[in-house]
Amino acid sequence: MTPPPLLLGAALLFWGWQIGFLLIALPLAVLIEAARALTWRLELSGTDFHRVTDLSTLLIVVSGVYLFSTTGTARSAGGPRAMTLLFQWLPLLLFPLIASQVYSTVGRVPLTAFFWGLRRQAARDPAAQPGPVDLGYLYFALCILSASAANRRTLDFYAGLCALAGWALWSCRSRRFSPLWWAPLLAVAAIVGYGGHIVLHRLQQAVEQTAFEYIFSLIHRDADPFRAATALGHLGSLKFSDRTVLRVEPRDGLRVPFLLREASYDVYNSPAWVASDATFTALQPEADGETWKFASRQSPGERVTVSAYLNRGRGVLALPGGAFEIDRLAVVSVRRNRLGAVTVEEGLGLVTYTALFAPDGPLDGPAIDADLRVPPQEAPVISRIASELNLGALSPSEKLKIVEAYFRQNFRYSVWKGERARRQTALEEFFLQSRSGHCEYFATATALLLRAAGVPARYAVGFSVQEWSRLEQRWIVRARHAHSWALAYVDGAWRDVDTTPSIWADAERDEASILEPLRDLWSWGGFLFSRWRWSEGQSGVGEYAAWLLIPLVLLLVWRLYSRRVGRGARGTPESLTLAPRPGHDSEFYLIERRLDAAGRGRRPSEPASTWIERIHATELRPIVALHYRYRFDPAGLDAPERAALRTSAEAWLSGHHVHTAAR
Amino acid sequence: MKHLLYRWFSSFSAFQYRLDRRFTRAGALALGVLGAAAVIGLDTNRTVGYQVLTLVLALLLISAVSSLVFRGRFTARRVLPRFASVGVPLGYRVAIANQTDRRQEGLVLLEELADPRPSFEEFAAAREPGEERRNWFDRQVGYPRWAWLVSQKRGAVVTPRPLPPLAPGGEIEVGVEITPLRRGHVRFIGLTIARPDPLGLVHALKTIRLPQSLLVLPKRYPMPEIRLGGRRKYQPGGVALASSVGDSEEFVALRDYRAGDPMRRIHWKSWARVGRPVVREYQDEFFVRHALVLDTFTERESSLVFEDAVSVAASIAVSVETQESLLDLMFVGPEAYCFTAGRGVGHTDQLLEVLACVGPCRDKPFRALHRAVMERHASLSGCVCVLLAWDEARREFVRHLEALGTPTRVFVVGERGALDALPGDVHPLEVGRIGEGLARL
Repeated sequence: MTPPPLLLGAALLFWGWQIGFLLIALPLAVLIEAARALTWRLELSGTDFHRVTDLSTLLIVVSGVYLFSTTGTARSAGGPRAMTLLFQWLPLLLFPLIASQVYSTVGRVPLTAFFWGLRRQAARDPAAQPGPVDLGYLYFALCILSASAANRRTLDFYAGLCALAGWALWSCRSRRFSPLWWAPLLAVAAIVGYGGHIVLHRLQQAVEQTAFEYIFSLIHRDADPFRAATALGHLGSLKFSDRTVLRVEPRDGLRVPFLLREASYDVYNSPAWVASDATFTALQPEADGETWKFASRQSPGERVTVSAYLNRGRGVLALPGGAFEIDRLAVVSVRRNRLGAVTVEEGLGLVTYTALFAPDGPLDGPAIDADLRVPPQEAPVISRIASELNLGALSPSEKLKIVEAYFRQNFRYSVWKGERARRQTALEEFFLQSRSGHCEYFATATALLLRAAGVPARYAVGFSVQEWSRLEQRWIVRARHAHSWALAYVDGAWRDVDTTPSIWADAERDEASILEPLRDLWSWGGFLFSRWRWSEGQSGVGEYAAWLLIPLVLLLVWRLYSRRVGRGARGTPESLTLAPRPGHDSEFYLIERRLDAAGRGRRPSEPASTWIERIHATELRPIVALHYRYRFDPAGLDAPERAALRTSAEAWLSGHHVHTAAR
Repeated sequence: MKHLLYRWFSSFSAFQYRLDRRFTRAGALALGVLGAAAVIGLDTNRTVGYQVLTLVLALLLISAVSSLVFRGRFTARRVLPRFASVGVPLGYRVAIANQTDRRQEGLVLLEELADPRPSFEEFAAAREPGEERRNWFDRQVGYPRWAWLVSQKRGAVVTPRPLPPLAPGGEIEVGVEITPLRRGHVRFIGLTIARPDPLGLVHALKTIRLPQSLLVLPKRYPMPEIRLGGRRKYQPGGVALASSVGDSEEFVALRDYRAGDPMRRIHWKSWARVGRPVVREYQDEFFVRHALVLDTFTERESSLVFEDAVSVAASIAVSVETQESLLDLMFVGPEAYCFTAGRGVGHTDQLLEVLACVGPCRDKPFRALHRAVMERHASLSGCVCVLLAWDEARREFVRHLEALGTPTRVFVVGERGALDALPGDVHPLEVGRIGEGLARL
């Protein structure tokens, strides 16, 4: 099946129009369609097609590497992924193949060009070589599918698609039926297809929404700024991964453990903390596009540089309490809520940002009534403890100290929880019975106790920076360093109140896997690769990958140029650059010419031996025998034999000159 | 696991067969685009490939629906030749009659061959030629072996034939081309008339049951004359066999001198005229009888070595002049067989028919053939052996023939490595290069 005239050109133009390569597509289309008007062709062998295919493959690989290493920046600006871009480029990258088909004398591409296995098989057994294929319609389909990857959601795409499909189908329609049958059926298909794609898109959106909500409820990698489910009341032992999730650059004066908060919550509804009135508002970046300020301020504060992975470009930032500015954060969108949670969108796979912070930073909004509310079911035990501690008449700072001392002296850290009485809440059991628990118990109890004492408090989740990596020479934060603590509103600012006994870090470390060093090494390798991959514009090499294309193209041009060129390409067949045949300088040809001039010439395709028998020139037998060996024997003639051929031929020529001329 | 693979391959082959029948080439391409668009348009947010998917799906569905109605009634007659040869395209005629009162056009004729899927036992026992060179995965899973077996069992490739318009109640005769892929019987089970839908993507089918078979003769190579030599031997009851020529007092014909002919039979005048000795022939029971011994003892059900050996035997059978002598084709199958051709007893075609159907013998030793030949050696003037190996049993057989004074020519067919250590008077024939080997004789 060969596409009708102009169809391939139209498909190329459609592709160029959709992906914004119209100026490139135009000459390609002209080149493809000009083949119908031009008569010259390249005489390409199977090996030449193999080379063209190999070149296209190399172009795809190099373009893939180039796109993979350079599209980070494009993606951060909402551009497509490398894979999608590569797919869009395919008609261009495979153009050498279709061009070699339409300008070749055979007009088809051998199947061996696409499969190494078939090439090997054909090399072993040339008779078993599969037939050639016409790539016309395949290339046509590729143009349309690649155009679809441009994702232009206008009616133009579908209209163009229907027009091209109709054009292609017209040429292969059944002549049994009138076009009056064909056209309505095509129109029905176009309408059904249009309705179908709208339904399909909506269906995917519905499925996505449902699946997203379901999966998000099961596992969520980033903190949910609206709700934090705790393990309060959870029985058994808690297990945490030693995967590295954050990296903090070393700096002087960093006091460890150092808390990096992801979110805070103000409403406790056992066993979860919920953020009320936590609508996110978007921030506008500064002129450089990478600096984000929460308030225009301020006294110079401290700074910390954090590296974190983003999941599909989205995530919640881990920030120190009191952060007022983030520098070098390459994302498209940053949003924050009044509880100090900061989310980012459309970022790179790995972001490294510097957070500036001060004790009175504006990250968190001021305290409200919800920050003083104690849930009724926990109120009895909380009030009782508060009254036991005599917190009523003290200043907020003093209350804070007493509460911290209370937990430090009376409670211990444990990740194990046994059975508790049914009538008790988890917190009652923690306060009155076990007096041990993990950080969520301490943070919740502290927040509620402070509230009962009249100090606004919140529940915060994030990470504790406490492990120095000698391998990486920076602080690393593992998943098991996830932590929760309380925030207290004291003297007009929110302060971190971490009452969990410091032994918790040691307890967690004891649970570490013996394979942890290996995982760290792997994780560090991944981090270095990601940093290289996503650091385009700083030290990436992606922009130089395009230069690799130049030697490849030159190589192809050289290899093709050195091949034979078919009729009309460079003049007459005599001008073809053919390698000299073995034995082309044999003196026998002089004899042949002499006899031809005498009217006793050799017939087309007549073997020389038959010819001399026919014309009864038996004296030429030894010369023909030597000539045959000189011409066809791989070993050729040695010097004496070569001389014998020459002398005997010359002798014959000198002896027969007059005689043959006389005839 | 092999059972599971077998079922999977079998179902896949059936599915592929139906797909090939149902879809036109444009339809097959549309199916491919549908699959590609399904992958590309999987995420409807990322590309608009899903729009291609729905359009192509709609086109295929509409085509499929419109192919449900095909009001055609046909009868057909297939005129097959008696024989075909492996690898040689052959034309035959098919007459199609339109039994409706409507003009039928745009139809395509498809031949229905017998189900080529092998049985599980065949699949498990078969070894594809060159399978040892395939990678580990292909050898273990065995799909290339399956595809090769299906192709072998199908036996032929028949090109779909577009039909000219059929007048109401009219009949046309068209030529169809078939290319046999292996020797033996190619079985036809019917004919299918396919009608593409208006969009040209899906076929509506009408199948006519028309069982027939075609015998495919082994591949034959051009080969030089084999000078078998050997004396004429007394043939008990030979007069009955020697129906036309012999040594009786009744002169029958002249022929070239052959070693063993008495000097007094030389026809001097003819010698003087043609420049070579010529003898007179009389009707008698003394005549030349050669044996063509085919070695069928191979462990595999189908092997290239065996197929090439059969081709060599067929080439020899057609090249030996059987007007003046007898040729016995001897081999062992379920039992020892001997088929005779020549001197009007049987024709070479009959030997080829036998060779078209000969199969390997896996339940008897080579000794069985040795015995069968020795039982007849007294009447044999010479012997041509086509062997599959050069092991002790076969060497012993050839030594025995030579010891009995029977002129013998031995051809051994095998892979290149197996032919290295052959003695000089044994002709090696490499698999896949039989033609070259025979031309060198």
